Amino acid sequence: MNAVLFLLPIAVLLGGVFALLFLRAARKGQFDDLDDPPKRMLQEKD
Amino acid sequence: MAGCIHCGTALEAREERFCCTGCEMAYAIIQGAGLGRYYEEREACAPRPGAAPAGWMAVPTTRGANGVEEVRIQVDGLRCASCVWVIEQVLERTPGVEHVMVSYATGRASIRWDPRRIDLTTLAGRIAALGYRPRALGEEAPPDRDLLVRLGVAAFCAMNLMLLYASLYTGWFDAMDPRFATLFRWLALVLATPVALWCAEPFFAGAVAGLRRRVLHMDLPIALGVAILYGHGVITTITGHEGYLDSLGMLVALLLAGRMLESRGRRRAVEAAMSLAATAPRSARRQVGAGLETVDAAALRAGDLIDLGNGEECAADGVVTEGAGQVRMALLTGEADPVAVAPGDRVVAGSILLDGALTVRVEAVGGETMLSRMAAQLEQAADRGMRPTAADRIAPWFTAATLIIATVTCVGWWLTRGADVALTRTVAVLVVACPCALALSQPLAAAAGLGAAARRGLLFRSADALLDLAEVDLVAFDKTGTLTVGTVAVLEADDSALRVAAGLERYSMHPIARAIVEAAISRDIALPRGENVREEVSVGVRGRVDGVQWQLATGGPGSLLLSDEAGRQHRIRLGDVIRPDAADTVRKLEAQGIAVALVTGDHSEVADRIAAAAGIGTVVARCGPEQKAQWIQARQRAGHRVLFAGDGINDGPALAMADVGIAMGSGAASSVLVADGVIARPSLVPILAARRAARACRQIIRSNQRRSLAYNVVAVSAAAAGFVNPLVAALLMPLSSGLVIWGALRVERLVREGDQ
Repeated sequence: MNAVLFLLPIAVLLGGVFALLFLRAARKGQFDDLDDPPKRMLQEKD
Repeated sequence: MAGCIHCGTALEAREERFCCTGCEMAYAIIQGAGLGRYYEEREACAPRPGAAPAGWMAVPTTRGANGVEEVRIQVDGLRCASCVWVIEQVLERTPGVEHVMVSYATGRASIRWDPRRIDLTTLAGRIAALGYRPRALGEEAPPDRDLLVRLGVAAFCAMNLMLLYASLYTGWFDAMDPRFATLFRWLALVLATPVALWCAEPFFAGAVAGLRRRVLHMDLPIALGVAILYGHGVITTITGHEGYLDSLGMLVALLLAGRMLESRGRRRAVEAAMSLAATAPRSARRQVGAGLETVDAAALRAGDLIDLGNGEECAADGVVTEGAGQVRMALLTGEADPVAVAPGDRVVAGSILLDGALTVRVEAVGGETMLSRMAAQLEQAADRGMRPTAADRIAPWFTAATLIIATVTCVGWWLTRGADVALTRTVAVLVVACPCALALSQPLAAAAGLGAAARRGLLFRSADALLDLAEVDLVAFDKTGTLTVGTVAVLEADDSALRVAAGLERYSMHPIARAIVEAAISRDIALPRGENVREEVSVGVRGRVDGVQWQLATGGPGSLLLSDEAGRQHRIRLGDVIRPDAADTVRKLEAQGIAVALVTGDHSEVADRIAAAAGIGTVVARCGPEQKAQWIQARQRAGHRVLFAGDGINDGPALAMADVGIAMGSGAASSVLVADGVIARPSLVPILAARRAARACRQIIRSNQRRSLAYNVVAVSAAAAGFVNPLVAALLMPLSSGLVIWGALRVERLVREGDQ
């Protein structure tokens, strides 16, 4: 059970890393347009 | 029967491949770029190419590294994903273009190019040559990412908080190792801190701003609740008890989600309305010595002489010095009938020369023109400021009631059971009173209502205007461009005459020619081939169709005369026609108990004719812009809530005066700017649909408010009696918010039921 004492903080920290990645993505504008990319991926590129 | 390869218009002659030279050029461009796949993969035929818009020199661009320029423009006429593909590919294969991205959802195109190798006018011309309509955009606000980031962080923390607290709650029933409990509590505090201090900041800012203006709005009880939840959480963590930190996380995350949905919905509607309002910049042909040069409207000076040809739009106010012709000033006066002008007459910027040729001496340009001055006045008038929402009106009472109950609870328990019990229960009262559900009730339903109206063609600037629409009991229409189509159309012509006329006119870009071809297409008449077609100024068009020589010329006001060699004549009557759905819309409005009126600047016979066709009984004719507004004001004094729908700059005062002002998207840019809502399609039906959305929205907001108030009454009484602890709060609060969210989801369904 003692494992919980250090595993839990590590889990929260790991989650924090993903939260920071989300922040970075949002700041770079990846969530500005949510309507087009789903349509665009259906088109062939050339 | 064959059809035009590019736009699909029916053609008579089997060997023919294109309906007009524009389509032939578009086909050549697409095949030339090796993009022939477009014709196999597209889901809808392309629009017919129009004239290339001019005046792109004045469009503001951003200059990037290496001298590359970037611009965002609006492209109209996109019909399927293949349209986006073909525009992007054609432009990207143009030398000098670095990057092109077109959004199918919004029609926005961002283009990056090297100005030393190509200019924007050429690029816009290529888009127009394909059949799409590029337009310049005004200033745009950068996308708002702040709320999303706050919401993301709050949601992340809230979910982890829930996890930790779930363990603590189960630990209650099944004795937990105190070391774990302490660790969980401190971890929870670490997670709750950014939520309370950073994510919830908009609510604190709103509450402070409200207090400064001496208004109590919804942010105040929320900020109060967050502060108490967090303060209590810090203290309990230190003393080793459970706080309400999980409720705090969930509350802030839900409220931020509601706020973001509302602002996205509103932003989308405003952006769409603004893109309708954006107009192409104007250019002019200025006389230099014996020749002409094309200059941007901004470069014109008073005293310059400019030439106007068929179908051209005047770029400045001025006086006619030479020539004669028919001018349409609908943008300013709202009247479709052209006015004849001769030397000495005034023309204003925005008027369109329908036929003839004029030389105009410029008197006022840019911001000095009548059009710009009126637009500026209207924009000032439209700046009404934010109105308080229903929830904001409840907020002061709500806050006062909460504080009174909290005080009574505190004093009551202190006297009977001592300080400890009193403080715990007072905190519980303040926590469950935090009006999460009440604050969510309006934005969620409003976002759903705005979305439902927008999908049915009416874009609203704010939820307030949408809710006002539910109260309207008098609808007043402008005539030209609102109740009627507002452009030249064929009123009367027999099919055979129309067929020949369309064959003669199909290669022309003149508005009347376009009207004849459109009329033929709408009657499913295949276009015959006109041979040796020659356009002769002030005579008309001559050419051969079916081996017979024809002449199409003006036949007096509002009509064309088609004559053959033998002198047989057919008359084609032109004019403004009533919208096909106008009569039906009027009937349905009246069936809902709404009075309908026609308010127009036109003289009474024309007004009466249109009103009779639309089934409108009340006609107010010969109204100037000010009189329209006065008439609306008088009706409002008599107790009516008035909706005014108009499209011209002359409707501006009336649009601003009405409880709900609705502009036609095809109308003057200034009317779009001043209105509460814009109809995005050439139809009046969206008014009916938006009214259903407004009523559904109002109904849901009311029932949501009743529900959340009922929840608060029950929860606060329970808290005051001492039945609420952190676990009960954690179960109760999402329940109340869930009810409100479920209510908002019903808006779309209610509106859809009304659609049938």
